[in-house]
Amino acid sequence: MAVINNMVLSKFLGLCPFFGVSKKLSNAISMGVAVTLVMLLASVSSSVIYNYILVPYNVEYMQIVIYILVIAALVQIVELIIKRTNLNLYNALGIYLPLITTNCAVLGITLINSAENYSILESTVSALGAGMGFTLVLVIMSGIREKLDLADTPESMRGLPIAFITAALLALAFLGFNGMM
Amino acid sequence: MPDTVLVILILGGIGVLCGILIFVVNRVLPKEPGSLKKAQEILENLPNMNCGACGFPGCFAYAQALAEDKNTFFSNTCATVMQQEDMLHKLEEILDIKMDPSVIDKKAVVKCFGNSKPAGRYNGIKTCRSASKIAGGSRVCPYGCLGYGDCVRVCPNGAIYIDPENKVAVVDPGKCNGCGLCVKECPRHLIELVPSNTNIIFRCSYEAPRNIPNRPKCDLGCLGCKKCFKVCENGAILWNEEKAMPEFDMSKCVMCGKCIEVCPHNRLIALSNITKKQDPCTPDSKESVVSQKEESKTPEKQNDIILQ
Repeated sequence: MAVINNMVLSKFLGLCPFFGVSKKLSNAISMGVAVTLVMLLASVSSSVIYNYILVPYNVEYMQIVIYILVIAALVQIVELIIKRTNLNLYNALGIYLPLITTNCAVLGITLINSAENYSILESTVSALGAGMGFTLVLVIMSGIREKLDLADTPESMRGLPIAFITAALLALAFLGFNGMM
Repeated sequence: MPDTVLVILILGGIGVLCGILIFVVNRVLPKEPGSLKKAQEILENLPNMNCGACGFPGCFAYAQALAEDKNTFFSNTCATVMQQEDMLHKLEEILDIKMDPSVIDKKAVVKCFGNSKPAGRYNGIKTCRSASKIAGGSRVCPYGCLGYGDCVRVCPNGAIYIDPENKVAVVDPGKCNGCGLCVKECPRHLIELVPSNTNIIFRCSYEAPRNIPNRPKCDLGCLGCKKCFKVCENGAILWNEEKAMPEFDMSKCVMCGKCIEVCPHNRLIALSNITKKQDPCTPDSKESVVSQKEESKTPEKQNDIILQ
């Protein structure tokens, strides 16, 4: 999940924080950790709900709505914890912290878990892998972008355009891991 | 049980559970400190540009420091607030302090006129800081503006731009709020904060005794002719023998403008005219045309050195 089926570069989920928070390495690491934490909690609770409530009552079609509800509550809790314990980190993450709610990587991993009929333990492990993969890519990207800021890029390519190209090249590199399987 | 009721029950139950969970977490965690509320109130009256000129990592950190000790405002003054009266008054009310805006109302000026010739082709990182480190800088004048715009990037107000003609940084006094970030950023220390009621600035920093061997003097720089020093009737212009440069005592200046007229190279200029284009008939532009012609006749081999 971390490298071969990378959330960002192979499944193209969670692109918003991938470009939004990858300007500085320190912010990227804390964002990755926050997303991983939310993914873990969301996967555990959603697989509990899926296996013990939705499947026995035959209402699997409600999974998207219920997962969004659970994720929103979890993000609120994580936000509260970060705000009360580390105010500077809270300010550095800014709008991207509540935006984890709408991060499709988090909803994506919970939906993949239920589609693959993972048990609670299996979905925990897959969420951990996905979170680590997300953090890894965010760290790589921010490292490259910090260096790119100093490079002599053409006027029209400065900023986001070169970031998009970098992301494409990174995705190509990660595609190479597929062949190793 | 019909399916719809079941679904509503499940969804409602999970929703209530989540609500209870958030409530519990909110109660268990330590309460926000009292100073935080005051900091929030102070933050509303700060510019929120997060320029960092006050010495704190952002407006919020500054507001927190102010909430703890209001004297921080005197040691680390926010220059932007000083320019905005309504913000300043509200801040004074909240913090219970009094400030005199005229004391720290300042503008940045670039003390270089630009147009110094390149010393060679420079292919390195396009920042002044790196250009200034190689072989004494990428321009001929060792005290001139390099024009790669480190100050432009650091300015939180977008008040600085690079004049495309002369390749020199120019501060727009209308936009500058005197935060002083550019002063710290310039590797050649060409930018200076002057009181905003100053009218005359001297746009050259060439110090004769610090001359570097094999570097010709900027042919557009201060000649050291002392004309401005001699013409000033009020003793506002002093002559610094050591640096061979004029120095200014703004308290004695009456803004008569005689020094501006007499300066053969137009290095003295009124602050209010700084962003306006130069009259094409000034000696300055004539001279630059002449020097360009001379240059084209005898291309210097020195210019072909590539600075890497």
